[in-house]
Amino acid sequence: MTMENKKVKIYSTPTCVWCRATKDFLTEHNVPFEDINVASDAVAREYMFKRTGQMGVPVIEIGNDIIIGFNEERISELLGIS
Amino acid sequence: MKTLVVRGNFGGETATAGQIWNYPGAPGADGYDLMKSFEKQAKDSGAEIINGKVTGAKNNSGCFDVEVGPKTYHAKTLIFAQGAERRHLGLAREEELTAKGVHYCVTCDGPLYTGKTVAMVGGGDASVKGILDLAKYVDKLYFIVRADKLTRPEPVNLEELDKLGDKVITLYSTEVKELVGEGKLEKVILSREFDGSRELVIDGLFVEIGAKPDVFVPTSLGVALDKIGYINVDNLMQTNVPGVYAAGDTVNHFGPFKQTITAAALGAVAATSAYNYYKKHGNLCQTHWKVTSQ
Repeated sequence: MTMENKKVKIYSTPTCVWCRATKDFLTEHNVPFEDINVASDAVAREYMFKRTGQMGVPVIEIGNDIIIGFNEERISELLGIS
Repeated sequence: MKTLVVRGNFGGETATAGQIWNYPGAPGADGYDLMKSFEKQAKDSGAEIINGKVTGAKNNSGCFDVEVGPKTYHAKTLIFAQGAERRHLGLAREEELTAKGVHYCVTCDGPLYTGKTVAMVGGGDASVKGILDLAKYVDKLYFIVRADKLTRPEPVNLEELDKLGDKVITLYSTEVKELVGEGKLEKVILSREFDGSRELVIDGLFVEIGAKPDVFVPTSLGVALDKIGYINVDNLMQTNVPGVYAAGDTVNHFGPFKQTITAAALGAVAATSAYNYYKKHGNLCQTHWKVTSQ
């Protein structure tokens, strides 16, 4: 899997500012992503908690990597965004 | 004149505040959208914005050397507007249980507690606004207030709080003394009994107990603070260090009355003062802002 086609998922809530900032950042850089609303999706919420051991959003899954919180630098690094 | 904005977190407190009802001309504006608009206007006016944290600043014979990561920026005048950081309870295990039942951002994490029982620690306006948001999701809410009554929230928010009725149980003269849980928060120990017990079983705890200004960099530059730790400024937002100004929640110019409109007012005054300083004393420093990499 290349940098460019890593699957990106965002575990978010509708009112979370940093979730919006993350999605805006990815959109600005033309990165497609799946947005998963963990406020309404209990299964995804449980997965997020088990995967990260915490209940804060956003959680960004890039390929097999996990980022907790909006971390532009780390997202850029994993996706090859300059 | 060139302007560089070193942005720590986008939008500050306003971006996370949800709907804003007290900013003129934008009733009910979404805080995030409002801050996006602020940022666009700044960029359209010629400001350059970079992400980063200012880790140090030096006064170099009329120039200010500002460290941002591996780079140093040189400027003729500085405005500190880095806001304030949310206060924590200062309890054992608080850090360990943060985001595992203990939260500081209702708009971010509140929806995760749909149908659950949570508590809010606070007493100021932000905590009441937080409860109004949380009430959209949770089944039951405890409001833990150290004081014996609510005096600081805005009346309009207190009226909305009253409308929530039995959904919110307010525990006055009460503090959280201990956080209990394995892997995640399971209950808190209160300073006094409620319903025959000092243990309160909850799914989540939200903390809104104010903020403290981040003053490490300005104090390293010799900037004086007021009695309660905010940057001391005069009516023109001038600090005791010539060429250095401050604005927003990092100053206490309007006391506890801290809103987007007050921060914007302070920012406008600070920017004008900085510009006037630049016009009068700009030749003290033979550069405007430029950057060097270490």
